[in-house]
Amino acid sequence: MEIKVKNEGQVCEVYLIGRLDLASGTNLKEELKKIFDQDKNMIHLNLNEVEFINSSGLGSLVSIMKEVRLRKGRLTLSNLASYVKEIFEITQLSHIFEIYETQEEAMSSYQSVTAN
Amino acid sequence: MNDLVERIGELLSKLQSSDYLEREEAVEELGNYDTDEAVAGLVIAIEDPNPGIRELAAEHLSKMKGDTAPKLLIHFLGNDDITARNLAAEILVKIGSRSVPYLIEQVDVDDYDVRKFIVDTLGLIKDENSVDALCQKLWDENINVICSAAEALGEVGSPKAIDALVAVFEKIEDVQPQALEALGKIGDTRALEHLYRFIETDDPIIQYAGIEAIGKIGSPSSMKVLSKYLNDEDESVSELALMAIINISNSTDGNIDFDIPLDKFSKFLFNGVKEKDPEITSFTINRLKNWFGHDVIYNLVDVLDAVDEENQKLIIESLGQVGGTASTMLIKKFKESSVEIKNIILEIIKQFIDEDIAKKLMEFVDDEDPGIRQKLAHMIGSSYLPEALPVLKKMAGDEIGHVRSAAYAALGWLCTENEVEFLMKGLDDKFVDVREAAAGAMIMIGTEAVVEKFRKFLFDENIEKQRISALSLGMIGDSTVVKPLIEAINHPEEEIRRSSIISLARIGDDRAIEHIVVALNDESKAVRKSAINALVILQRQECVPKIKFLLDDEDLWIRYHAINVIGDFRNNEFSEYVLPYLNDEQDVIRIATMKALSKMGCREAMSTIDQFANDSNEDIVNAAHQAITVLDGEK
Repeated sequence: MEIKVKNEGQVCEVYLIGRLDLASGTNLKEELKKIFDQDKNMIHLNLNEVEFINSSGLGSLVSIMKEVRLRKGRLTLSNLASYVKEIFEITQLSHIFEIYETQEEAMSSYQSVTAN
Repeated sequence: MNDLVERIGELLSKLQSSDYLEREEAVEELGNYDTDEAVAGLVIAIEDPNPGIRELAAEHLSKMKGDTAPKLLIHFLGNDDITARNLAAEILVKIGSRSVPYLIEQVDVDDYDVRKFIVDTLGLIKDENSVDALCQKLWDENINVICSAAEALGEVGSPKAIDALVAVFEKIEDVQPQALEALGKIGDTRALEHLYRFIETDDPIIQYAGIEAIGKIGSPSSMKVLSKYLNDEDESVSELALMAIINISNSTDGNIDFDIPLDKFSKFLFNGVKEKDPEITSFTINRLKNWFGHDVIYNLVDVLDAVDEENQKLIIESLGQVGGTASTMLIKKFKESSVEIKNIILEIIKQFIDEDIAKKLMEFVDDEDPGIRQKLAHMIGSSYLPEALPVLKKMAGDEIGHVRSAAYAALGWLCTENEVEFLMKGLDDKFVDVREAAAGAMIMIGTEAVVEKFRKFLFDENIEKQRISALSLGMIGDSTVVKPLIEAINHPEEEIRRSSIISLARIGDDRAIEHIVVALNDESKAVRKSAINALVILQRQECVPKIKFLLDDEDLWIRYHAINVIGDFRNNEFSEYVLPYLNDEQDVIRIATMKALSKMGCREAMSTIDQFANDSNEDIVNAAHQAITVLDGEK
């Protein structure tokens, strides 16, 4: 899986491309660790080009969420393909992840909180 | 004309009748004649013993044009009959400006009660022409008349009265509150400098009235002056000053550029919110971004059900900013709150869930509302706390399906393989959402032991278990599920075969290809179609020769689908397979073929496709044009 990071503003935007499974999930966690090490704790994952995710991939996302919580940060997801949505629904992870239809909606949610 | 005079004369006589109905008819008819005699008759009728007739006469009089009515009615203001006097005043007010000259004419009568009554009536009419007369009455010998004159000037609201009111304030102590109120009602900024001076007194009554007046005038420049009174020892003075600042700030969008001791006013402000005062609510909620005391959090929870949805959202956002501190305090409020507020509290806490909060939430899992129990299960599970396990297992036995569903899902998030046997019970639940939640939990665990369970269930006698197992194996989606899914390609149930093929395609394991190719011959159209799709997902061009025979499938849509799929490989080597179908008898097949050949870049087909540009079927013509455009573009 390809991981593109746009680490410019307050929120670090991470674009995932390909399959999110055990191996790529481990890579993703390592990539995010680098971001956490820069004292950044607001992460947005754009899953637009994630064509496949399995239980190991979900496990990686849960583990990232735990880390973000420990760091009192915030994790958002967006652009879930229909299959990815389906797996989030059946596992009910959609109840604990903050999921937006589009990247714009997710980013504007950070802006409204910041504005307050 | 004579007839009219005669008729009015008759009606006036009837007004003396002892018969109520006759008098009523007379008044009713007199109302139709706008003559002095008729008006005089109606004026007489306002003293009628019957209240209905009096009201009827008053109604007609207030609509009469001309000056006769006010000219006559004015004399009733000194009438001993209080009912007639009040009714006359009421009619004069309704007549309005035309009454004013006659009232002014009488404003100096000897009887001070009548003078006061006239002044009051002028105040109610609110005509600017009465200002001079009313200003003169500020110096009446009777204090009641003076006070009424000040009040009346406030009602009229003309800035012309400011100097007179200021002067009377300075000379006559007893009229000071009324004068201040009047200055406020006039609402002119020219009074402000005087008011600032007047409130510098030890007399609280003058301070109250003066501060209120300044607030009513509503000039942003006053806020700084009023701010001095925010720390006044007299709570009423400080609260009035704050209220005046709030009114000015809200009505003018004026920025408050000084600190307001919000904690001092928290009771006043939150009472105002609870009482749904829109000015106080707006002010208070706008301050929340900079106001995070413990009292505030408690108060915010208290007022949540007193504010509208928009303000509720603002409060929740504000509480969300406070973080974990708010969560702990909100939990204390939880038990005694309504279901609606409990929901809101949980929404806030959700952002800060940690082990401590989860432990506290566990105390409420027996809440009587199933929606709350459902939410609690999700939140407790999302803490990933080992202690949550027994609590969630208990909730998985809840009487309500949605609660059981949430509990099973949450158990999955804890990812404990030891609980697989327990989770399997959920697969037999009577509700599909619970069964799927249990499966979801097992997907999250996703170990070989789970795969083995699902593999067995694929051939369980319960068809629902078979369905869920195929779905779950696909979602576990690692190499351990490939073998069971390949086995499922030969499953007796069409849906399981189809679902297994799709899952295998997603997983993308090469071992599956030869089995999927075999499924191209499946008896089920849906399975054959899935097999074609699967091969495309797997991007196996080498499978195309094996798909070729489906171009002659008995089912039109399988043929159509096969052409599309081959076209999607965009490889001209395969064009020979589809070229013959340009002459198919079915229009949809010819259209699909043109599209596929254009994707493959098959320029050899152009001349044949060109012939379709004149076809009688418009869809064929369009497809031909599009294909030629694509092929031309590849020159």
